[in-house]
Amino acid sequence: MIQIKNLHKSYKMGSNSLHVLKGIDFSVEEGELVAIMGSSGSGKSTLLNILGMLDGADSGDYVLDGVPIENLNETKAAQYRNKFLGFVFQSFNLINYKNAMENVALPLYYQKVGRKERQEKALKYLGQVGLKEWATHLPSELSGGQKQRVAIARAMAAEPKVLLADEPTGALDSKTSYEVMDLIQKINDDGNTILVVTHEPDIADMCKRIVHLKDGVIVEDKKIKQVRASAYV
Amino acid sequence: MFDRDIWVEIFNSIKNNKLRTFLTGFSVGWGIFILVVLLGCVNAMTNGFHGQFNDDATNSIFIRPGTTSKAYAGFEAERRIQLKNDDIEYIRKSFPDDFENISGRMFRRTTARYKSETGSYTVQAVHPDFQVIEKTIITQGRFINTNDLVSGAKVAVIGRKVKEDLFKNEAALGKFVEFNGLPFRVIGVFTDDGDDNAERGILAPISTYQRIYSNTDNVDQIALTYNSSYDLTRALEFSGRLETILKRRHKVAPKDQAGIRIWNYAEAFSDINNFTGILDTGAIFVVMLLLTAGVVGIGNIMVFTVKERTKEIGVRKALGAKPIQIIKLVLLESVFITALSGFIGLLIASGILAGVGPLIEAPAFKNPSVDFSTVLIATIILIIAGFFAGLLPAMKAAKIKPIVALNDK
Repeated sequence: MIQIKNLHKSYKMGSNSLHVLKGIDFSVEEGELVAIMGSSGSGKSTLLNILGMLDGADSGDYVLDGVPIENLNETKAAQYRNKFLGFVFQSFNLINYKNAMENVALPLYYQKVGRKERQEKALKYLGQVGLKEWATHLPSELSGGQKQRVAIARAMAAEPKVLLADEPTGALDSKTSYEVMDLIQKINDDGNTILVVTHEPDIADMCKRIVHLKDGVIVEDKKIKQVRASAYV
Repeated sequence: MFDRDIWVEIFNSIKNNKLRTFLTGFSVGWGIFILVVLLGCVNAMTNGFHGQFNDDATNSIFIRPGTTSKAYAGFEAERRIQLKNDDIEYIRKSFPDDFENISGRMFRRTTARYKSETGSYTVQAVHPDFQVIEKTIITQGRFINTNDLVSGAKVAVIGRKVKEDLFKNEAALGKFVEFNGLPFRVIGVFTDDGDDNAERGILAPISTYQRIYSNTDNVDQIALTYNSSYDLTRALEFSGRLETILKRRHKVAPKDQAGIRIWNYAEAFSDINNFTGILDTGAIFVVMLLLTAGVVGIGNIMVFTVKERTKEIGVRKALGAKPIQIIKLVLLESVFITALSGFIGLLIASGILAGVGPLIEAPAFKNPSVDFSTVLIATIILIIAGFFAGLLPAMKAAKIKPIVALNDK
């Protein structure tokens, strides 16, 4: 699903150049649930940004679902993001004046799906995250865990190839974190490919594979025995 | 553009920033308000000026003899010039293509009597053509015709006020009125748009009056209208030729302004048109400055809106919003605020003009209003202005990197 070869990325900081990613080789198969771990400054967020086409690499190859990702202009990148990727953010990033259903329907709007169909699909995905009754509630009326579940429903609504989650449990307490991880595991069970950036070991253990980044290189890449979050809920 | 979701978002953005939107919208509305009121006033002045002249045909020329101020051709200065029937005939023959109507004028005071009612009026003795030149409106009967002129009939067309004075509610047509003891038959009653004073006048055939006053062929004034297809230059050139020829006939020095005066409406009209044109331009210029301030204000609010929504825009882009969709969102909001507030200004101003306008009673200020084309142009200007106000902020919004939405740790 994802093939990355010799990926380099550096940021200019004044006259200095900060080499963040120093040759990443990495691939993800369909249906994997991968945790990307590392301390801050290890380059895990930069890697996720490049995977999410939010940032470009300096050199190296990136192939997503057989499509080489290179020389993207804004419009093309937006199209690819809409088609291939679903994002889950640490701070949810729901649009505060839209209710849960409208938030979930937003990526479908950018796919030019008709209004009726959009609402039906949004309700369906809200149902999958167990929030169908909350469809007309604004984000301010939802708890943190509920917000993240709406965000996950939103990410799934566009039926992406890969779900990218950037510290999805970073703003949640551990009980809610496990609920969210349970949901992510269930979505993975349905065959979806998911990448989770985290620095929490217990969250990483709930994935099927852990990739450890340190100082811009992968220091460890191992398959693990998944801990089911449902055991903690 | 007719996407319901975009409008929902625009209304939401406005709802969340009511005061800010109102204040900025106000400046645009105010600019349009002033534009409409100013143009309405200029219009009113134009209407007023034209109204002042409107009782005469706008292509008329008046020839008035005077007293020479310079000695010329063996004559001394201070000589009275007298126009004659010959002069009218001469103009008829010399300028067949240049004039449309021509009439002599004689003015005589008269005491008119009908039964026991008497009154003192001025009789204007004229040719049939005079009806067109003075835009005299006949409400009853008819105007003086060629037969009256040839036969020197003692007939009269009386003004509405004269009829009221002498006849009260009686019918006047066909009745005989005594002018200085001589019986004249009333053949018509006229009104005049210009003023009530003109309606206190009496019109009679010029030949009749020339016969009464010792068989003279004197004419006090000559009035004519020039070919209405003439533009200003040709009209002035024609009155110039008239002046030269009449001065030559009456042995008046070419530079003598007092001997014969020619008064051409075209000149007065071109002056008025120039004047109101300058007022119009001035008004539009002032309003453009005001509108610029308003547009900068709208641009300002949009910059704020974009800044405030940076994160939201980033999220949208991460979810697949194309730059053009973001630009559309910001531009539509800007155009909407500008157009709406401008339109409110337009409505209020039009309302005030329509409400207050008729209450103002001044001769040089009549019917202040703006025509549809002004409204249309103002609307187009507003939409364009809103577009430009939103353009920079929209482009700024489109450049927001979705990465900022992720950098929230």
